Amino acid sequence: MARPSDKARLRHTDRQREQVLAHPLARGLCPDEVGRFLAEVPQRRFPSVAYAQRGRLPLIQPRGGVPLFDAQLALTKALSDAGADFIPLTIDSCTRHNQYDTAMQLLRRSEEEGHSYLNGYPLVCHGHELTRQLYAGLDKPVSLRHGTPDARLLVELAIGSGIAEIEGGGLCYCLPYSEGFPLDRALLYWQYVDRICALYSTPERPIHRESFGPLSATLVPPAMAIVIEIIEALLAAEQGVLSFAVSFGQTGSFTQDVATACVLRRLVREALDAHGFQAMQVHLVYHQWMGQFPMQRERAAALIAGSALIAGVIGADKIVVKTVDEALGVPSAEVNAEAVDTVRYVLRTFAAPAMIDSSSIAAEAALLASEAGSILEAIYGLSGDMFWESVYRAFQLGWLDLPFSPHADNANRLLTMRDANHSIRIVDPGAVPISPADAASERRLLSGRVDEASTTYRQILADIMLMV
Amino acid sequence: MKPAAMPDSPAMTHPRPGKTRIVMGVIGDDIHVVGNRIIQLALEESGCQVFNLRTRNRPEHFCQAALEVNAQAIFVSSLNGEGEHWCAGFRQRLQEIGMGDVLLYVGGNVVVGKRPESEVIALFKGYGFDRVYHQRPDIGPAIEDLFKDLAHGQTQ
Repeated sequence: MARPSDKARLRHTDRQREQVLAHPLARGLCPDEVGRFLAEVPQRRFPSVAYAQRGRLPLIQPRGGVPLFDAQLALTKALSDAGADFIPLTIDSCTRHNQYDTAMQLLRRSEEEGHSYLNGYPLVCHGHELTRQLYAGLDKPVSLRHGTPDARLLVELAIGSGIAEIEGGGLCYCLPYSEGFPLDRALLYWQYVDRICALYSTPERPIHRESFGPLSATLVPPAMAIVIEIIEALLAAEQGVLSFAVSFGQTGSFTQDVATACVLRRLVREALDAHGFQAMQVHLVYHQWMGQFPMQRERAAALIAGSALIAGVIGADKIVVKTVDEALGVPSAEVNAEAVDTVRYVLRTFAAPAMIDSSSIAAEAALLASEAGSILEAIYGLSGDMFWESVYRAFQLGWLDLPFSPHADNANRLLTMRDANHSIRIVDPGAVPISPADAASERRLLSGRVDEASTTYRQILADIMLMV
Repeated sequence: MKPAAMPDSPAMTHPRPGKTRIVMGVIGDDIHVVGNRIIQLALEESGCQVFNLRTRNRPEHFCQAALEVNAQAIFVSSLNGEGEHWCAGFRQRLQEIGMGDVLLYVGGNVVVGKRPESEVIALFKGYGFDRVYHQRPDIGPAIEDLFKDLAHGQTQ
């Protein structure tokens, strides 16, 4: 039995670090120089400072990454001018899969032909010295958005560029993003990432970590997302990370969104405190609808406005926004800037009450808390010397089971559907250790659904296409 | 509304007599998994025994699995359009291993870019596919076609 503990902290990272930084694309990055650089960048580049100074409204973060330096610079300026509180740096998928040679070739081609052959900014190819120049004079945090199971080199270079928010985690950046990357390896590599974030942190200037709660963004039951978020917060805390954000994606149900926010916020704090990690600060991030978006821009705009309102209601610390061109591909800088403005308009105009309450929300929250609590307790009880080993074991047993994960080792036995209120319900828990009473509640709540005569696959398809 | 069981790989499931055995998966380096799961559910709800190779498969993976489980049909999916490249000569590969009479279906966004459907169908028929479903919203009609084709023993 291995509960989370700071005894799991990596003690000897030096040799592994030497190996990571020996890569030619690390370009001689020197941790001491990076430490001095981080001490000199504006303090508002650190998310904990931005969060501490947050007013009544959630902070706003768009998404964005393009291959060419000049275009990324222009995008950064456009988003900052539009009022984004966090500046994104989205990384291309070749880099996410550690295919730096391919990324380099496609970057050169993009430069020569003036056309984007990469779907993000290839930070490892550009290097940290050039990337620092993207943010000269910027006084707001930059967030690294990727999806990389082995992000050791990427994160070294990102922090070296002055990026103080690192999204990801061993579970959330492996199971939704990789077909074959071994999960145990991803967990170990993310221990390294967490550890170097901690090593660069000072109490006033902590490198901030954020987990990616939307996961596969396809009918993920909130209890599973809550459990994965809490696990990643604990794993980061073990390595000494001081500033963290848990997140989740819009579920498609107002009730479930409010309940998820309540339960996630409460349980993550309880889990951290129970294991001696009172020092870790935790924030809550809400992702606008991450599933299939409508093609019609009017509908997309309505969806964006609606979910901005929910972010206000749940008192999210930050909202990550979508654009009206989501269904069409990577948005232009202008469309991206418009999205920031739209979301700010909704947040400002519909001053939401702090956390609404109702009997249906309370019932949903009680169910989610019970389910998440059962799963977590079961994992704590698994054998292993370290908590990460229990987490890996839970995945092997199908206790952690992510619907629509592409990962070859995912159990795929957990089956979910929407109820009449669009809340995501567990039809069959598979091996996921929720109590029989909770499983019965899930099935009872599903019974109000009207299209029972239809085939299961057509119902699930309709559930996935909810917002289209 | 009982959910179907979900066997995960041929290695974990033995062929069951009396059921239609189908090998399915996504071809190329394509990792689009949502449609793959939906098709598996749909085929199982129709009473088929499904051997899902999931994402990132080469033609030889489909052929080998078809041989191993003595499949009656292969469902190849392509969402990112890599199908055009990988599916060339598919029927011939099956003939080479003595599986030339397996029903061969392909669907998804099987080619890159906008092209007339008739042209896409002709292309894949040329590769030896029995049925081609380019940019169709529902797997239902393909399953109906499957049972018709099985009843008539129709392959190219």
